[in-house]
Amino acid sequence: MTADISIAVQAEGFDPGAEYNRLRRANFADGATAVFVGNVRDFSPTETGGHQQVSVLELEHYPGMAESALAAIARQAAERWPLGRVRVIHRFGPLRAGDEIVFVGVTSAHRQDALDACGFIMDFLKSRAPFWKKEVNKDGEQGTWVAARSSDEKALKKW
Amino acid sequence: MIRVLFFASLREQLGRDAIDWEAGQLADVSALRSALAGQDETWRKALSQPQLQVAVNQQLANLQCPVRDGDEVAFFPPVTGG
Repeated sequence: MTADISIAVQAEGFDPGAEYNRLRRANFADGATAVFVGNVRDFSPTETGGHQQVSVLELEHYPGMAESALAAIARQAAERWPLGRVRVIHRFGPLRAGDEIVFVGVTSAHRQDALDACGFIMDFLKSRAPFWKKEVNKDGEQGTWVAARSSDEKALKKW
Repeated sequence: MIRVLFFASLREQLGRDAIDWEAGQLADVSALRSALAGQDETWRKALSQPQLQVAVNQQLANLQCPVRDGDEVAFFPPVTGG
């Protein structure tokens, strides 16, 4: 059975509840739904171990490749685990603290497959999908590009 | 022509998001990068970052990936989405 995969890269917000309902609608074969939602924090850790206020997060993406990279990651997950539905949404543009950035939802017959596939998609999305974050603080200065974390690259090794 | 794209901090450093480059005798991404870097000090510095990533026709690639006329090549810093 092939999974039903749906990808969106968009500026608009999304409703996680509505997305969950869509994953469940007339879906009686899958007893498990795993959902991850990423939100904008209102702070970022500084190099000295402190915290700095973030008022706006600018998300840049590579149009075209962003969509195809997310689709490829979702397909890999669907080849590895028996999934019913996969929904991935990633936003771009200016986002504010509390806003949803990313949604990953997967359904499967069993819990462990759904949880693993959801974690796999998030881990690969973070290191392989062409999105970049820039933090702008309250003073509205030009902002700071978020540095990639080596822990994100290491997270891929567990798969 | 090869369409070359730049994203995020690299785009800001270069002050542009794209350039068209004659494919000529360029064999691979590495040769393209060297040709671009040879333009001036700003380009040399921006393109010499060891962490730089590359995509050829919207697929992640490496410096040995061959390039030819009509390709789209993108250079960018490590991704930080999610």
